[in-house]
Amino acid sequence: MSKREEILERIPAIPPLPASATQMLTLVGNTDTQLTDVQRVVEYDPGLVSNLLRLANSAYFGTGGPINSVREAVVRLGIKRVFQIAMTSAVAPLAQQEIRGYDLPRNGLLRHSAATALAVEYLPKRMSMRVPDATYTAGLLHDLGKIVMGSFLEVDSAPITLMAYREKLSFELAEHRVLGTDHAEVGAALLGFWKLPQAVVDAVRWHHAPNAYPHADKTVVDLVHLGEHVARICGTSSSTDGMNYSVCIESLERLRMTPEILEQVAGDVLGSLEEICAIFN
Amino acid sequence: MQLTVGISEMRVSRSAEDTLVTYSLGSCIGVALFDPDAGVGGLIHCMLPLSRLDPDKAKQNPHMFTDTGIPSLIQAVLDRGGTRKRLVAKVAGAASPLNDNGMFKIGERNYTVLRKVLWKNEILIAAEDVGGTIARTMVLTIANGRTTIRTGGKEREL
Repeated sequence: MSKREEILERIPAIPPLPASATQMLTLVGNTDTQLTDVQRVVEYDPGLVSNLLRLANSAYFGTGGPINSVREAVVRLGIKRVFQIAMTSAVAPLAQQEIRGYDLPRNGLLRHSAATALAVEYLPKRMSMRVPDATYTAGLLHDLGKIVMGSFLEVDSAPITLMAYREKLSFELAEHRVLGTDHAEVGAALLGFWKLPQAVVDAVRWHHAPNAYPHADKTVVDLVHLGEHVARICGTSSSTDGMNYSVCIESLERLRMTPEILEQVAGDVLGSLEEICAIFN
Repeated sequence: MQLTVGISEMRVSRSAEDTLVTYSLGSCIGVALFDPDAGVGGLIHCMLPLSRLDPDKAKQNPHMFTDTGIPSLIQAVLDRGGTRKRLVAKVAGAASPLNDNGMFKIGERNYTVLRKVLWKNEILIAAEDVGGTIARTMVLTIANGRTTIRTGGKEREL
């Protein structure tokens, strides 16, 4: 069995998402979902209730004016936003852990994930584009593969890092050379196993190689690719991979990105990041 | 006491017990400024080169930008008893992605703006560890002005 098969075969052994997140996944995919259905699912999970109310009252997610109940949060924010918050609440405990294999300190991946989720929404907003539904969740979950590899499978990133810096290889390509797979493929496999929407799974799978995504509309993949670079500009890189990645020039061109927009978005992200991360600390 | 300098933040101290540390310097620029005679030093972590990008944000937080952050750091060290001609400046960061095509030259531009501001203020860079694709941690020990860089589990003095 190849190393890649060995890694992918262990994905079903990863703990499942909390029940509330799984139920939210079903509700968000169903056009008949009523607000009361969402309210019931949230209220069944006290941790989610607390996180939802705190995030709903944050400057970033808030809608102006205090939100005091789950009902109010669901009505004012809408089902899609509540789903995104439920996913944030579900993965925060995982992303907060120290990830030894990738030399990520406690809260390191949470900061990087939250910064990317914010960047993928601020980028289209700054360009007066509609924010596609899948972007926030894909941005939030794009590096989940690092938790799988660095924590659950205890992959040692040292030989990967050595190869990446010695051969000037983008980090995920070095992962591929050493392990036969990379954190993007592993993360997408886990999200597929958890039955996340295909648009989210695809954006995570191709976030380091948007040109290889086999569909014409690459907007979400491009946004996650560039959003992650913005997150690195915001100082959320780990000491293992740093800024050792390639930027897809075509992603920049497809989105008609300018250096000014990227820098403005970095400022936007930094302005919201501490508040979001503090809610989980 | 160890004081953490966050992204777009600055800290100044004249307590010999303090260590100032900033993590994850990627394309950002970190500057440690120290007056060995006065025993006062400061550390800043600037994210973006020029404040004209967003004057409102620069007003709220001048330390986000290199062109407004560095003068603020110099002034803060002088205000705490430092003397301009004794100031020792050490610099780290300014990394870039692998195939930087100009769009992401934030690191390089941070460094260029920094040099200009320091030159205007007649401060020379005593030591630096800049460029490449790595993320760096920078530490300034106020007791002796020792500045170290940590990257990938290795530490070296600047």
